[in-house]
Amino acid sequence: MIQAEGLTKRYGDKTAVNDISFTVKPGMVTGFLGPNGAGKSTTMRMIVGLDRPSEGSVTVNGKAYAAHHAPLREVGALLDAKAIHTGRSAYNHLLAMGATHGIGKARVNEVIGLTGLESVAGKRVGGFSLGMGQRLGIAAALLGDPATLILDEPVNGLDPEGVMWVRQLARHLASEGRTIFLSSHLMSEMALTADHLIVLGRGRIIADAPVADILATSTRTAVKLRSPRADQLAQLLQGADVTITTTEHDALTITGLTAPVIGEAAAQAGIALHELTPVGASLEEAYMELTQDDVEYHAGTTPTITEEAAR
Amino acid sequence: MSATTITTRPDARLSAPGIVRSEWIKLRSVRSTVWSYAIVVAASIGIAALLASTFGFGEQIPPAELHNGIIVQAATFGLYIGQLVVAVLGVLVISGEYSTGMIRSTLTAVPTRLPALAAKAVVLFVSTFVVGLVSVFGALLLALPILAGYGIEADFGDGALLGNLVLAALYLGLVSLFALGLGTILRSSAGGIAATLGVILLLPTIISAVIGITQAQWAMDISPYMFATAGTGIFSPGGPLSQGENLLVVLAWVAVSLVGGALLLKRRDA
Repeated sequence: MIQAEGLTKRYGDKTAVNDISFTVKPGMVTGFLGPNGAGKSTTMRMIVGLDRPSEGSVTVNGKAYAAHHAPLREVGALLDAKAIHTGRSAYNHLLAMGATHGIGKARVNEVIGLTGLESVAGKRVGGFSLGMGQRLGIAAALLGDPATLILDEPVNGLDPEGVMWVRQLARHLASEGRTIFLSSHLMSEMALTADHLIVLGRGRIIADAPVADILATSTRTAVKLRSPRADQLAQLLQGADVTITTTEHDALTITGLTAPVIGEAAAQAGIALHELTPVGASLEEAYMELTQDDVEYHAGTTPTITEEAAR
Repeated sequence: MSATTITTRPDARLSAPGIVRSEWIKLRSVRSTVWSYAIVVAASIGIAALLASTFGFGEQIPPAELHNGIIVQAATFGLYIGQLVVAVLGVLVISGEYSTGMIRSTLTAVPTRLPALAAKAVVLFVSTFVVGLVSVFGALLLALPILAGYGIEADFGDGALLGNLVLAALYLGLVSLFALGLGTILRSSAGGIAATLGVILLLPTIISAVIGITQAQWAMDISPYMFATAGTGIFSPGGPLSQGENLLVVLAWVAVSLVGGALLLKRRDA
């Protein structure tokens, strides 16, 4: 369980995280989404006390992270795959990390096995690929068998097998009742892994809801069509909840109506259709929509979602 | 690939001995440590051999009361090089963590931060002190027979002989702590090494130059309080300050450096 209250981080006059409050609950995977620079990593660093909040506070399992007697048992964190001395072997890195909590060789070997690092454990980390660095970071996060796991971009640099493994691991650990908080820029990945999403844009929370809700509410199914009498059809289909965008002289993108409804309407009016294509809703689009709004709100520029989608 | 089997370890908790153990594993598991200490010992023993064999006493054997002083000088001369190597190592122990990002792992494991720095200091000091002992006593064993050839014999009845050698090793340990503090303050290998070597090597030279050119009284007054001047005065008596006073001066330098590093480590974002 992670609880943030009015969490704020300013660097000089730049506000990286702006008064955010959220709760990450145990027993599920919570995804943390946002464009680069949205403040995800800063927030995660504040959770484990690496960065000091300018205002507000954040607790893990009811206490500030640093107040726990066994911090590595409360929280396992992968904040940066490169947070490892390049001159040390993976095994010695894990041994040194574990030693602080009296965690010995047996558990070190266990997490090496868990993360599939057996063949490279004795090698210096400097020669590791990004994927191996990620696995080592995850191994370090698992050392203390933590109740809460914080993973910043855990699938970065992993091969498909590794991505699948992280997904299964996250789901499995959540099913054991642990709190899993992971950030990713891969929306499709989040759709498969996360139960709940917190979307961050420009240091503020844009959305905090179950994945299914975000998909349902913020994505509107669009239908693309082509017709030689597109203008006439557009007039015919106009309505309160309907958005019609003209992309080319004979093409329309319509949201708010389903393909069968449009097809029937065109048939009744005797208008020929050359194309009628429903465009599937995805979490990616929902996310773009959410963050686009945010960018629009802050920068005050013009592009609207419909134009964006039509491009 | 199956997901995971998790075994619980309710006994695991953060402890001071654990943090010290962790820092010991870290120190011994990077190559720069092994190389640095090897160079310190080799330089100490090599230079002692060189110095002992090239002492030009001619026909005249120095009076017996000077013999122990000559022996200490031969056994500790290599530390003038060794202190520079240890200074670099002391900086790297912390700056290497900043340059690689390791510091974030360290401070996540020890979020109260200061115990991590304290453990680093303890491990570095003890290791360097032991390496210092090996260096000076290794140098002593090599120099003794060579010097005996000139008729210079050690008088072990005088406790100051062994005492000064132990103090020389102690100074080496204090150099590593001073460097650790500066490395923590500056968080960069290049900056930390430049600053530490600047204080150890350059500062006394500048003060001497000022004295030589201007005869300024203030420069003469502060000259004995320079880090390396006071430091070598800890184990080679005869300077303007007593050995005990020299030790206090060096301890003050170390305290300023480490306390400054500790305050910044506690306050700054990692």
